[in-house]
Amino acid sequence: MEHKSENRPTQYHTFSFKGSGSEYFRIWIVNIALTILTLGIYSAWAKVRTNRYIYANTYINGSNFEYNADPIKILIGRIVVVGIYATFVVFSQYLMMYEVAGVIAFIAFLLMPWLVRQAVSFKLRNTSYRNIPFKYRGKIGDFYIFFILHALLNIVTLFLAFPYSYVKFKKLIISNSEYGQGKFSFDGTTGEGYSTYILVFVWTTIFIIGIFMFIGLILVVLGSIFGGDGISETAQMASVLTDINSTIPLDANISYDNNMTYSNEYSKEELGLIGMVGTMFAFLVYLPIIFWQKGLSDGYFSNFVRNFSRLEDAPLKGSMSPFKLGVISATNIIMIIFSLGMLYPWAKIRYLRYKLENTHFRCSDYEQFESLGYEKGSTVGEEMVDFFDIDMGI
Amino acid sequence: MLVEAVLYDGKSSKEHEVVIDFTFGRRVKIASHGIDVALDDIEIDSRLGDTPRVLEFPNGVRCKSKENDKIDQILLDFNIKKSKTHKIESSWGLSLGAVLITIIFVVFMLTSGANYTANFIASILPQNTLDKVSKMTLDKLEDGYLYPTTLSEANRTILQKHFDKLTKGEKRYVLHFRSSNRIGPNAFALPSGDIVLTDQLVALSKDKEFRDILGVLAHEKGHVVNKHSLRMAIKTALSGVIIGYMTGDISILATGIPTVLINSSYSREFEKEADAHAVKELKKMNISTIYIANLFESLAQEHGMDENSTTLQLLSSHPLTKERIEYFKSFAKE
Repeated sequence: MEHKSENRPTQYHTFSFKGSGSEYFRIWIVNIALTILTLGIYSAWAKVRTNRYIYANTYINGSNFEYNADPIKILIGRIVVVGIYATFVVFSQYLMMYEVAGVIAFIAFLLMPWLVRQAVSFKLRNTSYRNIPFKYRGKIGDFYIFFILHALLNIVTLFLAFPYSYVKFKKLIISNSEYGQGKFSFDGTTGEGYSTYILVFVWTTIFIIGIFMFIGLILVVLGSIFGGDGISETAQMASVLTDINSTIPLDANISYDNNMTYSNEYSKEELGLIGMVGTMFAFLVYLPIIFWQKGLSDGYFSNFVRNFSRLEDAPLKGSMSPFKLGVISATNIIMIIFSLGMLYPWAKIRYLRYKLENTHFRCSDYEQFESLGYEKGSTVGEEMVDFFDIDMGI
Repeated sequence: MLVEAVLYDGKSSKEHEVVIDFTFGRRVKIASHGIDVALDDIEIDSRLGDTPRVLEFPNGVRCKSKENDKIDQILLDFNIKKSKTHKIESSWGLSLGAVLITIIFVVFMLTSGANYTANFIASILPQNTLDKVSKMTLDKLEDGYLYPTTLSEANRTILQKHFDKLTKGEKRYVLHFRSSNRIGPNAFALPSGDIVLTDQLVALSKDKEFRDILGVLAHEKGHVVNKHSLRMAIKTALSGVIIGYMTGDISILATGIPTVLINSSYSREFEKEADAHAVKELKKMNISTIYIANLFESLAQEHGMDENSTTLQLLSSHPLTKERIEYFKSFAKE
């Protein structure tokens, strides 16, 4: 490791993941069980262990990453976020004191940009590589300006400006990130942002049309085999399926009176059947489509972000096939459904490994970075983002 | 004992291959870097799978070693407490225990656990919350669905008497007579104890004393007593959380899949519970269950129901009317 490589033409190094599904499975299930047994308190330790495992198994150029968050701090952050959310729910849902609930929601809304910045900062400063932590230097003011400007912009343009906002947000995040004394930068242009969005949109549309044509074809074949009107029946099912969902609001608060309605008893029998068919349809067709699309867009956007990000003059590169990532994502969700969740750890690692093995970094000297020390700070932002599952894609 | 490791000096990202020497007297030495510290001054991270072990030295110096087993042995030799989590995680037997705990918990929460939670929440919920929610719902229904009753004074008096006897004059229960062609022959209960009965249902009664309608009212009261709406809400929320956790994706909740799943399987159970409550109440009042069975039967005939199909029964979201008629009849014979 002591040799210098400055004079050699530098090559890309590829990230790798060295963890295994069976090892991660045990960590995952023990985390869940202990979280249950401790009534949720262990969840903070669970989060740290999960992240430590994933980071520590992520390698580039022979060295691994580290996750350094303190579980006690995460626990405090969690308690604060859950406490505020619970207060809001109590006031809005149970006490019906909408004024108080409104004030809580409004304050949370005002704090949002600050909390998002906190979350970004938390993730970075708790990540280190070769004992050098990452850092976030973005200013709080910039976050407020960003959120106000882009919220207005997207309302006015009916979200047509969203790709532009996406590129600007990535710039805000990445160009303010640091590793030791090294600074990251992101120089993706708005034009490239738009072309990525359009690609995702076009492929998604083509794929979904294709799927429905395929299903239609199968129904025509089935219809001709059974000589019945398979298509109209299925069309009917589909229409009732949406009906089930849309009529829920009316019945939601009424204690269950279904069986006192006899005027449409027969159709209710049908509804039961259609409900089952619909559920199976949802699980086996709808979810894989959604997850395929998620994988596809993740692939496109991950490549986009990597291809325009640098650490000083050392570039990152993404070489994922968005289609392949889509297939991995769709087959993962099928695996998870059929195993009732038990294959989740393998699915997660499979997805992560593909992404890492298609991420590259070209750096002439891994030893040049100097530590500016580990920092501490609030965890509330991170836990808020975690709790509401906001995906910031860093 | 000697442990091979990579050392970072805390200042740069340079890596140094070193040998850490754990010696007697609880001193830890790294000769190449002139480090000689007490064992108690270094922090050894808990083991996690087979990931490189981190040893934090004073002054930001950090070592990483792949020799996990050796380090575990050192901890044991020097009698240093170590986290038990890895012990559980590294054993398939104990992991299986974790699987069992998880499954038992999930199943429990979706069955009787939801009832306990519902009872608990109901006990801490101020009654006026339920009343407010119910009132809002009722107001919504009054607007376009429900109209003033056209029942005769005499009939209403009979029904009201039944109702008062059923509820023993408890103030939370209020009977509302309404007419509704849109809802049709129906009765429903709100969590507050408000029970709405449509004229259309009363019109189908074949008993002058309305003992069949009394059965229906008892059934509705069963929904209130058993807190079905709260239990349903809790189960829906729980299953959403579980599905979200399983798939690692909360966005599935927005698809409404948990709601459909829960609605189809649980409302059936709730109807059975409410029926059982009705039977119990009718017995107490010494009224045969044959009347409500007859009412169900005439309704079924009126609407020309085809009850021959048994395949539908399994998939149905509630017990078939035929099954329920049999259920009520079985008590009538006693």
